[in-house]
Amino acid sequence: MTFDIDLIVESLPLMLMGIGITLKLLIVSGLLGLMLAVCLLLMRISGKWYLSFPAQVYIYIFRGTPILVQIFIIYYGLPQFEAVRDSILWPILREPMGCAIVALTLNTAAYVSEILRGGVLGVSKGVLEAGSALGMSARQKFIYLTAPIATRLALPAYSNDVISLLKSTALASTITIADMTGIARTIVADTYAPYEIFISLAIVYIIFTFGIQKLFGAIERYLGRYTEREG
Amino acid sequence: MTRTDAQPLIRMQGVNKFFGSFQALKNINLEVHRGERIVVCGPSGSGKSTMIRCINRLEEHNDGHIIIDGKELTDQVNDINAVRREVGMVFQSFNLFPHMTIVKNLMLAQQLVRKLSKAEARDTAMHYLERVKIPEQAEKYPIALSGGQQQRVAIARALCMKPEIMLFDEPTSALDPEVINEVLEVMVDLAKEGMTMICVTHEMGFARSVADRIIFMDEGEIVEEAPPTEFFDNPKSERTKKFLSQILTH
Amino acid sequence: MDALTGWWDDYLWGAVVVGQVFVCSLILMIVFGLLGAMAKISNSRTAQKIASAYTVIFRGTPEILVILLLYFGSAITLTAIAQIFNPEIRFVDVPPFWAGTIAISLIVGSYATETFRGAFLGVSPGSIEAARALGMSNLQTFIYVRIPEMWRLALPPFGNHMLSLIKDTALISIIGLNETMFVAKQAITVTGKPFTMYIVVGAIYLGFSTVVTLAVMGLEKFGERTTAGAK
Repeated sequence: MTFDIDLIVESLPLMLMGIGITLKLLIVSGLLGLMLAVCLLLMRISGKWYLSFPAQVYIYIFRGTPILVQIFIIYYGLPQFEAVRDSILWPILREPMGCAIVALTLNTAAYVSEILRGGVLGVSKGVLEAGSALGMSARQKFIYLTAPIATRLALPAYSNDVISLLKSTALASTITIADMTGIARTIVADTYAPYEIFISLAIVYIIFTFGIQKLFGAIERYLGRYTEREG
Repeated sequence: MTRTDAQPLIRMQGVNKFFGSFQALKNINLEVHRGERIVVCGPSGSGKSTMIRCINRLEEHNDGHIIIDGKELTDQVNDINAVRREVGMVFQSFNLFPHMTIVKNLMLAQQLVRKLSKAEARDTAMHYLERVKIPEQAEKYPIALSGGQQQRVAIARALCMKPEIMLFDEPTSALDPEVINEVLEVMVDLAKEGMTMICVTHEMGFARSVADRIIFMDEGEIVEEAPPTEFFDNPKSERTKKFLSQILTH
Repeated sequence: MDALTGWWDDYLWGAVVVGQVFVCSLILMIVFGLLGAMAKISNSRTAQKIASAYTVIFRGTPEILVILLLYFGSAITLTAIAQIFNPEIRFVDVPPFWAGTIAISLIVGSYATETFRGAFLGVSPGSIEAARALGMSNLQTFIYVRIPEMWRLALPPFGNHMLSLIKDTALISIIGLNETMFVAKQAITVTGKPFTMYIVVGAIYLGFSTVVTLAVMGLEKFGERTTAGAK
């Protein structure tokens, strides 16, 4: 059994062609998911049961089921309904990319909203009381006190979630999308060389992960500058 | 403002407060006039903090009336905010905004609540930072300051709102002994200028020299109320005597 | 709903397979996690480096990739080894159950390494010192002081690891494991109702997640019975 370096050299560029798709899945789903997560968070902490309860149910379902199932339900399952096929969303839901982005967005939003909620719960009560005592309204306290502090608290957990999202993009290959993993699987099917192909692909993902960690490390250091003692 | 000094600035009538089934305040009746300096003392759990936190609605009273500067304190958000603009509070744990510089800490509420411009807010902020003698710390973050400095900033932050009344909730209890004095000095200065203040504290030296009246609370009730000389030299109630003997001898 | 008649049996067996994967991968995950944690805490630089490599690799690589690599890679390796002994052997198959179970155990085990390490280091040094000062042996300290505090610290994240194992089981369907996703695929070709079939899969997994979550909550309450009520 030999390790075919030539094969790696040939295949790597092919797999890297999928980087554009991987990044598109990661960034679009990440941003949309973050926006949805903030909405879910506001619903969750609103104190009104008709907002909080649906949000909790949503989070419970999307965190309690495998993301692969969610992808399959959206890609294979939704076309079962004529109402879906006739709706304005159909152009998006017909395409594998559209389905993948929708599924990843809905999934990551559930996790991120809980992460943000953890940050909100971590804001010290005393700081909020001081805001109240100074006459600040609930909205002002949330914008100027809770949001900045909670963001910093949530950052480590959020960076982990971004890494999870990166890994989830590989599942797009199961619905015919030619991301890096999709291309790799095709090559392996042709060449019967799983070690060379999959290991080199794994290294690409690991490097990606490093990059994300370094990026968030820098963001954490910048935002956390008021937590460092001087002198 | 055309209020006669005869009308009390703060009036609490028959105030009760429950936490679940536990009664924290029992039939509190209290009047505070403009310019008066009140010290509230008593054992832990006596309800002293709860009482002053009811004044700015950080706690809600269940029965009775609280009337501040002629306005009754109710559930209405407008009433509550009107009161909070006139009442400043200093907390035991300072509660500075950790993610803002000192000067921003002092400016934020001025801009958001009093709707002042950035320049006006900054001027007032620097003025009070000088009053509490730490103008050079303006651009630092709270974490860089000592406890005593942070508490002085907290006092300045409350003063920036130009309140009629200042409430102090055990302002020196969380401080190292060496820095307690720098905070007490600021409070003494404030008292000398005629600020109406209610101060929950264990600092009996401060009480003796500054207070017009000392209120002793125990188990949710006001047990005794008297000017300092009378309070310390001639306590009337047994509970007051017991408390004084515990805190004055060691 | 009629589409489902006749399929409930198959789904039930699929669920049983999910349960089997859970039990096996749970044991392996604990083993890998403990080994990794012990290696990281040990004084041996080599052990620490190996453990670090372990966590970096398996936390940075998409789960689907690990599963594919282990499945195809081990088949090729075992075939090559078998051919040494008997050149007539064409192909050695690795059961998807074991390839998948080992894969997800390695993956979640790399997260568990950090959890166990954190729990071990999180035991208050004061308690350990007190035990020593009272004359307790190392073993006694370990059993009566370290372990009780450790599992209380590790329980919440450990609950999440268990949930990850359950959800990652769905991925093993990609390499042919006969669990609920696989059943759904077959049912769809017969009934033509992909949404219905995948929703059942989702509900089964949600059921598993709920049971695990409730069990963890119960264990947390049990662990807090001595500290609850302390202010």
